[in-house]
Amino acid sequence: MPVISAELVRSGGMPAAEELTGRLLSGHTLLRDTPEHLVEVVDVLASYGEVLDAYSINLIYQAEKQFLNPFPVFKYFDGDLNLARLWRHLNHDRINFEYAEYCMKAMLWHGTGGLDAYLDSPAFLDHCRRIIARKRRRDPLLALLDPLAPSFLPELIRTAATVHALGQFWRVMSDLFLDLATAERQGRVRSIADVVAFIQQGLVAAAAQPITYGVEVAGEHCWVLPPEAGLTFLVDVAVPYVEAVFLRGMPFFGTVSFNAQAQQISPDQARFTYGALYADPLPTMGAGIPPSLLMQDMYRHLPERLHQMYRQCSRGEGDVHVKICQSFQKSMFCVTNAAINGTMPHPLEAPDPAHQAANRAYAEAWAARLSVARTDCLDEALPPVLD
Amino acid sequence: MTSLPLLSLLLAVPFLGCLGLLLWPGSPSPNQLRGGAIATLVLQLLVSLLVLLVFDSSLSGLQLRESHGWLPGIGLDYRLGVDGLSLPLVLINAALSLVAVVCTREFSRRPRVYFALLLLISGAVNGAFLADNLLLFFLFYELELIPLWLLISIWGGANRAYAATKFLLFTAVSGMLILGAFLGLALLTGTVDFSLTPVSSERLAMGSQLWLLGALLVGFGIKMPLVPFHTWLPDAHTQASTPVSVLLAGVLLKLGTYGLLRFGLGLFPEAWARLAPALAIWAAVSVVFGSLAAIAQRDMKKMVAYSSVGHMGYVLLAAAAATPVALLGAQFQMVSHGLISALLFLLVGIVYRKTGTRDLDVLHGLLNPQRGLPLTGSLMILGVMASAGLPGMAGFIAEFLVFRGSLNAYPLATLLSMVGSGLTAVYFLLLVNRAFFGRLAITPPQDPLRHARLDVLLPPVAPRETLPAIALAAAVVVMGLLPQQTLGDLSEATTTAMADLPVMVAVLQPGGLG
Amino acid sequence: MPASLPLSLQLAWLIPLYGFSGMALALPWACGWFPRNGQRPAAYLNLLVTLVAVVHGSLALRDVWLTGPHHISLPWFSVADLTLRIGLDLSLNSLAALELVTFMSLLAQVFSLGYFDKEWSLARFYGLMGFFEGALSGVVLSSNFFLCYFLLEMLTLSTYLLVGFWYAQPLVVTAARDAFLTKRVGDVLLLMSVVALAAWSGSMEFTDLYSWAAQVKADGSLAPLAGTLLGLGLIAGPMGKCAQFPMHLWLDEAMEGPNPASILRNSVVVTAGALVLMKLMPLLQLSLIANDVLLAVGTISAVAGALVALAQVDLKRAFSYSTTSYLGLVFVAIALQQPGIALLLLLCHGLAKALLFMSVGSVIATTNCQDLTEMGGIGRRMPATLSAYLVAAAGLVGLVPLGCFWCFGQAVSALFDSSPVFAGVFLLTNLLTAANLTRVFRSLFLGAPTPKTRRCPEVNWLMALPMVSLTVIVLLMPLLLQRIDPIPGIAAFPMAAGLGVGLSGALGVAVGAWMPLDQFWSRSIAQPIRSFQDLLAFDFYTERVYRVTVVAFVAQLARFSNWVDQRVVNGLVDGVGRLSLASAEDLKLSVSGLLQTYLLLMVVGIVGLLITLSALGGLEVLP
Repeated sequence: MPVISAELVRSGGMPAAEELTGRLLSGHTLLRDTPEHLVEVVDVLASYGEVLDAYSINLIYQAEKQFLNPFPVFKYFDGDLNLARLWRHLNHDRINFEYAEYCMKAMLWHGTGGLDAYLDSPAFLDHCRRIIARKRRRDPLLALLDPLAPSFLPELIRTAATVHALGQFWRVMSDLFLDLATAERQGRVRSIADVVAFIQQGLVAAAAQPITYGVEVAGEHCWVLPPEAGLTFLVDVAVPYVEAVFLRGMPFFGTVSFNAQAQQISPDQARFTYGALYADPLPTMGAGIPPSLLMQDMYRHLPERLHQMYRQCSRGEGDVHVKICQSFQKSMFCVTNAAINGTMPHPLEAPDPAHQAANRAYAEAWAARLSVARTDCLDEALPPVLD
Repeated sequence: MTSLPLLSLLLAVPFLGCLGLLLWPGSPSPNQLRGGAIATLVLQLLVSLLVLLVFDSSLSGLQLRESHGWLPGIGLDYRLGVDGLSLPLVLINAALSLVAVVCTREFSRRPRVYFALLLLISGAVNGAFLADNLLLFFLFYELELIPLWLLISIWGGANRAYAATKFLLFTAVSGMLILGAFLGLALLTGTVDFSLTPVSSERLAMGSQLWLLGALLVGFGIKMPLVPFHTWLPDAHTQASTPVSVLLAGVLLKLGTYGLLRFGLGLFPEAWARLAPALAIWAAVSVVFGSLAAIAQRDMKKMVAYSSVGHMGYVLLAAAAATPVALLGAQFQMVSHGLISALLFLLVGIVYRKTGTRDLDVLHGLLNPQRGLPLTGSLMILGVMASAGLPGMAGFIAEFLVFRGSLNAYPLATLLSMVGSGLTAVYFLLLVNRAFFGRLAITPPQDPLRHARLDVLLPPVAPRETLPAIALAAAVVVMGLLPQQTLGDLSEATTTAMADLPVMVAVLQPGGLG
Repeated sequence: MPASLPLSLQLAWLIPLYGFSGMALALPWACGWFPRNGQRPAAYLNLLVTLVAVVHGSLALRDVWLTGPHHISLPWFSVADLTLRIGLDLSLNSLAALELVTFMSLLAQVFSLGYFDKEWSLARFYGLMGFFEGALSGVVLSSNFFLCYFLLEMLTLSTYLLVGFWYAQPLVVTAARDAFLTKRVGDVLLLMSVVALAAWSGSMEFTDLYSWAAQVKADGSLAPLAGTLLGLGLIAGPMGKCAQFPMHLWLDEAMEGPNPASILRNSVVVTAGALVLMKLMPLLQLSLIANDVLLAVGTISAVAGALVALAQVDLKRAFSYSTTSYLGLVFVAIALQQPGIALLLLLCHGLAKALLFMSVGSVIATTNCQDLTEMGGIGRRMPATLSAYLVAAAGLVGLVPLGCFWCFGQAVSALFDSSPVFAGVFLLTNLLTAANLTRVFRSLFLGAPTPKTRRCPEVNWLMALPMVSLTVIVLLMPLLLQRIDPIPGIAAFPMAAGLGVGLSGALGVAVGAWMPLDQFWSRSIAQPIRSFQDLLAFDFYTERVYRVTVVAFVAQLARFSNWVDQRVVNGLVDGVGRLSLASAEDLKLSVSGLLQTYLLLMVVGIVGLLITLSALGGLEVLP
């Protein structure tokens, strides 16, 4: 029986942890710098920026206008309810906001960082009490439920707070990615290193931006995440987001068994590796693979240049979502790269050996986590044409 | 009726098409040749449908008869006729020959001869099904053999010489036995008309009848094939290209079952009744053995080939029981097996063309929506379910009729055959689970430890490649859901034809369990 | 069909077709014909056709209520002496069952919209749900054994495809395979009986089969062996469908499948299997052995299923074994000729178990976890889920006067005098189930929150709405039962029976409250206890037993056949070929020759043949 021809077989070699450490410490980018990669990363981030814009607007709308609504039937309409939009909704000709909620759930469930800590604080519970007391006056259903299940509404308010915080985070990221696309068009970004630097600058600039959230309840403005909580963009939302969505994620039904006796899912959430950087792109658009929704949304906003590139490799339009997923992973490695560079304990050029050792330890810790991620995309070009 | 010699037309169209391809002046491109072959076969299909239209299913006996003397000295007459037994097979032949030509994708080597041979086979098969003369049947039976042998030995796989030779030897023996039986019949009864008149014990002693029937049984048993004469089939299938496999499984095996019913049962009803209990057991053994052997296969194509061995056993079982329902079941089984096995071979062919392998230990997860072969996989699930006799598809109604018709006569053999039907589900489920479910990857057999899992980029399947398979799948489902509407007329005709078979049903029925 | 029949009944044959049409409607999206859009329209269309089925079914139910039962018979296929028809039984019972099927399907489909909010392949899922629903509706309506078998097999296929929905996941693959093969074993045995009945009785209508059975029983024309085999074949199919010991393994594995399908599988699918068995009851009278087997299987399933459920650490499996257990009770009731009790139990169990699986589904969706040892402390943060669980549990066990309490009371009072052992089986099962539900309740809702249950917001409204609706229905069950008012009345059992049931339930709750919970795989130190725990946790090692018996047997047989085929048959052929036919080599060589050679060969062959024939013919002419 003939053996499968060699050029069709991919063995998926991944760079070793030392290699990744080396790239991080030497100032090289994790992703290999090729013109093709540049187009892939910039364009996929541009479409991601468009999608995040829609996600962000919707999450903020949900948190502010659909707050504690027991039947949020029209929560994806952004308050713009008309027949044309209803038809598009029914025809599923729309952004999959469900994916934004999925990321939110991941953040809420994994619960790391400052935002999560604040959600358990007495101050937050005080705010909750005030909001619930006002809300109960108008809403008989909640008035009935709250005394029976006193912990029910605070949990929903925590969810709403996470929804809003994620909306604010994505607002920043969406603008950043769209700016990146503009900068590349204007020739200010010419390499992968420029991309990483651009993102790093954007993150640093937004780092201290405050995260606040207030809702209108019965005509009165109530804080849920007040300014005095002192929550900021980078530490309290961005880092937990990376942890929850990039790294840990939640197990996908289509790839892993939930059976308790099979013990395929670690009891320790910190050891989860189901995030975007680890996810296998191949089953995209299969059953049980939530990122399929994101890939579809990005597919709807794909810049023509990248789309053209995709049409010319492997199956063209046929496996376009898998290719988007692979490019997306490449771009997310760039974002991670920027985040690592930005949070390096000391400048890379620092001559002090103690500083260098600290940097090395930091880089090694990251490399250890990333070495089991889908780093095989880092050096990989687009697949060849198949007819 | 019509004045056109429709049946001769059924022979003339493919033979003239074959000749036309061979004599096509200049150097026509492979695509032109393929177009010519397709045009010929579409015409053949139209003529077959016309035959179906003018065919009167309420009449018994052969219809649209044509008779011309040819070599009266040796009893060879050009006599054609069609009845309910042969009509469905003629239709299947037309449809599957067309499918075989349409699904031919690689024709770099000698396309002219290739397509000509396919047409030759189609014509010869028509001739065999329509022949109303033993020698004429035999002539066409032999005529189909050589092109098929060439198709395997020129366009086959790496080990094609072995497989082709084996095929040739087996089928040659089969031909010799059949010829021997026909000649023996003529010698012993002293008549040379080689007509299809049944032989009664007044004309021929039972002992001689048994010998002649035995020769026919082995001869057609090789062609069907029945265990233990089946061993040429898996080899031939694995080496043959997809279109040839489609023809082989869908049409040529039916020559064996057709011969068994028409000549075994038709010519020697008394001897048949004597041998029937043994035949039922033989059928059950064939079914169970074929199914069990299929479970052990790792090559998808071999698995499908062994499933044919099992499924042809049902026809023998039905023929042994020889009740009207069972015989109708046999007919249905021939039609449904023709369609289903053609479908399965088409799909296996697509997998092989895209991946270069059919090894179930190597292939995984082909159902992957974007990088795999999802449509092929979905059709494969449908195909294997049909083959396993799931209701709603053509296989079920055929098996049900066979079992229902045979149970009273041979309860044990019938129950064993039903176990075989259960085993079909086992091996085909293994096939789907291994090759189509799971994550898309290949495991190369050389060094599974070092390359435990390899990603693979497979070429996409163009819609036109699956079109024949979709058509077959649709036919399988429609026949399974609406048998009365699709096969009702045919079944009436078959019932009428079967009623002609002078079988002493009452003799065969030992009262049953009840 | 009389023309006076109300339209809803004239067109009753459409009801199963609504479900099947849902599959066809989902096809364009499943095939990806709309690349820019998502697949939700397929879901909406399926919801719509299911809604139509529910409405049509309830109209038909009303009309039957007003005008009495009807029977529809349509021709399907007839040849020779075989006539196969499509027969639909439009009685109150069957239409009520139909309403249960379609309504539960509707609820499950709405629930799936929420549960699968992040799922891409919705069209395939909803298409399969439509297929599933169509087959189920057909099974409960059919008055014809052939049609029943036909649809049961379709149900098997749809179960295979639904369990295998996440086909890229390895355990799903084995689960789908085992579900199909186990049911297929039952189905093949059932097919044997179907074929036998078709051959012996002539008609496949249940009413004709009943009179045939009565007749052969009266005149003894059926051999005892045939009757026994027939009976065993008849119970094999429902046994597989209802996941009874020893064909129960697939239900455990099928829990790998999507939860909305599990809701249906644990409630209406098993119910359909049992309904078929009830339709076959008069035929089982042909064989005492079959009835005894039924009784034994039911008893073992009831008690062992409940015991195994008690030892499961997986949330879904803890309740799937309880399904086996309850269906065991139904089998016992059927074997003891108590169809009324069996029907009631099916109804009460179906609704409560569906509700239980909904609450389980919402816990899994929120916590991403099915492992009981990793959960706890959900408390009152999820009130809809909590109340669904409590109401479902109360509806399942005989303690408070919801659904199953009345069934158990009836059963105990009916069986106590004639067969007290089986009354005991009912009570014991009740006790064990109560203990299991209490234990799982503690694991889920009580105690301190664990890392995986630290954040538990209530599920979205699409899941909550069907869950709350069904909670209300299960709460109203006693009223419904009273409305149905079976003979001799729903509460027509002595106080003692009710007390006994309540006592066994209370005892079960006490045991469940007392028994130690597994936490993070901590285990008892005492070896016998550990072994017993393992024995139950691994389901009496059934899977391993299967692997070394049936699977190994078939595999060995297959290997042996292959060996015979390769070594003996093929070896013989090759040997003969090598010995006697050296010409084969020449033929082989000639393959690489020129085209002319082939043609020459052909011509020579045919000419040779003709010459031979002429010679023989001449010979023949001579005398």
